[in-house]
Amino acid sequence: MSFDKRISRRNFLVGSAVLAGTAPLLAACGGRSGAVTVPSGPPRRGGRLRVGVTGGGASDTLDPHIPATSPDIARVRNLYEPLLYRDHDYELEMLVAESLTSSPDATTWTATLREGIKFHDGRPVTPADVVATFRRILDPDDPKSGAASLTMLGDVVATGDRQVEFRLSEASTVFDDYLAQYSLGVVPADFSMDNPVGTGPFRLQGFTPGLQSSFVRNEHYWRPGQPYVDELVLINFPEDDARINALLSSQVDAIDQVPVALVEVLRSDERLRVLSAQTGTWLPFTMRVDRPPFDDVRVRQALRLVVDREQMINQVLSGQGRIGNDLYAPFDPAYASELPQRKQDIAQARRLLAEAGHPNLDIELVTAPIQAGAVEAAQVFQQQAKAAGVNVRLRRLDTTTFFGENYLSWDFAQSFWYTRNYLPQVANGALPQSPYNETHWEDPEFLDLVRRADRTVDRAEREELLKQAQRIEYERGGNIIWGFMNQVDAFQVYVAGLVPDRTGLPLSGYSFREAWLG
Amino acid sequence: MSRLIIRRLLVSLVVLWLVSLLVFVATLLLPGDPARAILGQQATPDRIAALQAQLNLDAPVWERYLSWLGGVFTGDLGTSAATQGPVNDLLGDRIGASLVLLVTAAVLSTLVGLALGTWSAVRRGRAADHTVSGISLVIAALPEFVIGVALIVLLSTTVFPLLPSVTLAPPGEPVWSQPLQLILPVLTLTLVVTPYITRMMRATMSEVLDSGYVEMARLKGIPERTVLTRHALPHAIGPVAQVIALQLAWLAGGVVVVEFLFRYPGVGQALIDAVNNRDVEVVQAITLLIAAVYIVVNLLADIVGIVTNPRLRTEVSR
Repeated sequence: MSFDKRISRRNFLVGSAVLAGTAPLLAACGGRSGAVTVPSGPPRRGGRLRVGVTGGGASDTLDPHIPATSPDIARVRNLYEPLLYRDHDYELEMLVAESLTSSPDATTWTATLREGIKFHDGRPVTPADVVATFRRILDPDDPKSGAASLTMLGDVVATGDRQVEFRLSEASTVFDDYLAQYSLGVVPADFSMDNPVGTGPFRLQGFTPGLQSSFVRNEHYWRPGQPYVDELVLINFPEDDARINALLSSQVDAIDQVPVALVEVLRSDERLRVLSAQTGTWLPFTMRVDRPPFDDVRVRQALRLVVDREQMINQVLSGQGRIGNDLYAPFDPAYASELPQRKQDIAQARRLLAEAGHPNLDIELVTAPIQAGAVEAAQVFQQQAKAAGVNVRLRRLDTTTFFGENYLSWDFAQSFWYTRNYLPQVANGALPQSPYNETHWEDPEFLDLVRRADRTVDRAEREELLKQAQRIEYERGGNIIWGFMNQVDAFQVYVAGLVPDRTGLPLSGYSFREAWLG
Repeated sequence: MSRLIIRRLLVSLVVLWLVSLLVFVATLLLPGDPARAILGQQATPDRIAALQAQLNLDAPVWERYLSWLGGVFTGDLGTSAATQGPVNDLLGDRIGASLVLLVTAAVLSTLVGLALGTWSAVRRGRAADHTVSGISLVIAALPEFVIGVALIVLLSTTVFPLLPSVTLAPPGEPVWSQPLQLILPVLTLTLVVTPYITRMMRATMSEVLDSGYVEMARLKGIPERTVLTRHALPHAIGPVAQVIALQLAWLAGGVVVVEFLFRYPGVGQALIDAVNNRDVEVVQAITLLIAAVYIVVNLLADIVGIVTNPRLRTEVSR
């Protein structure tokens, strides 16, 4: 057998001419005129909003209290509502509760339910429902996601027609912040997964795990006029390209999480709008402060000085972010903005490493695609560290392995956190009993300050304590916080009502009750 | 001949069993367990413990394997760790969807490949032949995802916005309810496979057309068309069937990439998801399925080879 691979010169020329002939045709079809105009004026009712959401799979759930992936969170945000949550500016906003007040010593908090608020099936929300909701979340045999940060919660008691009392085992001045989580949605006392009702703006219509879920407008919703669209469809997209292509071919109206490298490409398409929101989302390097060489504070400070933060933002996030100062919770009123911005200082880093006895430090950094940009950040860090004579070896894992048995025991790794205020963030990741204390941080002076702040009712006094705690983390903590990422999403030009949201959740915080179609 | 087929089938069963054993061991070697994989970063120690107990992950390894194997013989593929439901339910619709993709692509590429190959063999050395060989060589050199992306850019998003780029069948409706959405995935798979069949068909056909018996037939004055269909084609089919089988078997695996790219709700997408979730039983079910397709297709090719080759035919039946 022989294959004849010869292409004669004449045929080659014919082929090239055909190709050349189509080129102007292709170019002519490339640029399309935007016939659709930007919607303006008052919101219009009706229509169907189709949203492409990253991730999800066979383990997709409608459970209000254990959302794990982005589609889970998007569903939970539209089906259910907690007593209170964060608005687009990261301020507390009352939802199922109309008010939440604390006793003077901050050990008892009383929530008053919104008057006339109803579940999807038209039944009113009663204090007994709220009590049952928290019993479900805190179930000792099957504690839900929110339970980890509610360890101070003793009893939840119905005390009136619309009153629910939260009795704490220890004082917490920011308990309202702990209650403001999307995974604490209020559900009826007889809640079952077969009939997932809540008080959210949309009611379930259909759900196929791993593929898509659809919702219709909740006619009992408490906000007058909202939601604007009649139908909401959330479509899973495990792959970036498929999601972008679906938007480009108008099969969906909006998508979350645009890869930063594509932002400019999408911006240049006049049929689309890119939504870039400043958030408090951070992607730190985590150093275990109890393991050599990171147990030496000089090594930790040297590695923080090695980072060129501007370059990180530009190369890893394509400019879609703000530089960090090794401190988290940038939207907290107590954020220690008075501390000087740390900058790259190779000479000082070399000096500190030499003093610590590691002039030629060799370390392993565990990285995984836990979030867009994570692996890239590790690679940029590896290059930057070379300047200070530090050899960083990258150990690249897949996400499941990263969060496997060894998660929380990597010496030097990465992490990813959404926007939080200071004390809730500390409770999640900086106390010995925190579920995710990645740096094994256990500084006695810090712990004392945080404990006192948790009980200090006076706001000015509390903020002073928190600023001192942040100074300690700034001077000897285990996180290298080089920046805060913007959340970048995109939608068709005829979609209105989606606004930048600081929580770090995509597309207006997945709050589709405000979206409408022009 | 039936004895040969039975023997081949028995060997196939052993191969399938070995595959299941290998896959089981391989998934055990992957770091991380389903409970952690499903919970992701939301995994608090309490939630992991609760889920592990729920998923029966504390039972010994061999016990888990044996109970799964027992289930396979009774048609029960076990319980998915991710959905907490039967694997049969998870895969039912998806197998149908993938088969639609596979069968359509297989039929199309076989017909087109055979026709194109014959056509260029007949026009050996002429412009048409060179064009077909040139284009098929270029396409054969491209991996399936490049072809897929190129087709999306060309026919869906950028150049000619004619076709949908992803499959978005509403829940409960089969994928073929919106045939437009099937075009790009089918076209991609067809383009990947056709060049090999075309080239093989052309080469075999050229050889056959040069052979003595074709010359003889022509000299007898039989019309060229009859020479082609009655005398040449049967002789060319045998060797080409082997290549077609290889390509179709490849399709069963290649469908994974294509389904991922077009968000096609088939077994390929389920397989990727199951590996990420360390969902052992689903991974095993799908791998077995793909392995079974390989074996069946190869068996069919052997049968076609025997039937079309008189020498083998008589040897076997002896």
